Amino acid sequence: MFDRLEIFQLAGGLARHSASRQAVVAQNIANADTPGYRARDVSDFAETWRNMTQENRLGRGEMPMRVVDAGTPASPNGNTVSLEFEMLRGIEAQRAHDRALRVYGSAMSILRTSIGR
Amino acid sequence: MTEFSSALSVAASGMRAQAQRLTHVSENIANADTPGYRRKITSFEAERALGAPQGAVSPGPVRLDQGVLPVIFDPSHPMADATGNYEGSNVDLVIELADAREAQRSYEANLRIFDQIRQMSSSLNELLRR
Repeated sequence: MFDRLEIFQLAGGLARHSASRQAVVAQNIANADTPGYRARDVSDFAETWRNMTQENRLGRGEMPMRVVDAGTPASPNGNTVSLEFEMLRGIEAQRAHDRALRVYGSAMSILRTSIGR
Repeated sequence: MTEFSSALSVAASGMRAQAQRLTHVSENIANADTPGYRRKITSFEAERALGAPQGAVSPGPVRLDQGVLPVIFDPSHPMADATGNYEGSNVDLVIELADAREAQRSYEANLRIFDQIRQMSSSLNELLRR
């Protein structure tokens, strides 16, 4: 019943999206010194959310996320990872995740209040 | 949740690889005056082991720097040849220190991300506790 509430879907979707984004950031940082590695990023949440089906929004199946090239300039060995940008993306992902969980939690406490607990 | 655990192991693979690199750097520095020593080079590549998460990194096979060994003139050295020369090591301390600093920087970045992922997953678990 509760999964039909839009706010929970949205918060859950954002949390999943930022978790995947953080995973991509972790891959980039782990490969910060691998010759020829190209830094990657995922498509933003608005685009991902538009492309999701109803089933998908309920948390089933893969998220339709595109992996895009981060587009940073390459160093002489062909590696395009910039640690500073990755830090920034990591913090962005963490903040988005926190925000999603906070929204989820407060929506949950509104529900709890409405049933008197 | 699987997203988090695979991301954690990717970050851990990055730390492992950088630590391996730092080991080679310290071996090079320790052997800076060993006659005939060639410096070890660490080059990273994608982890190909079975079951490794996508995007993990591993230190590739160790390669030796094939640059010319400097010829040092010291007739009193036990390894000196008839002309009084022997081959030194091709370790350049400045390069090694720069390499060590880079490894440290990358290691710290991996550690930072590891910590962020851990915080994210623990705040996710926090939702269950209410």
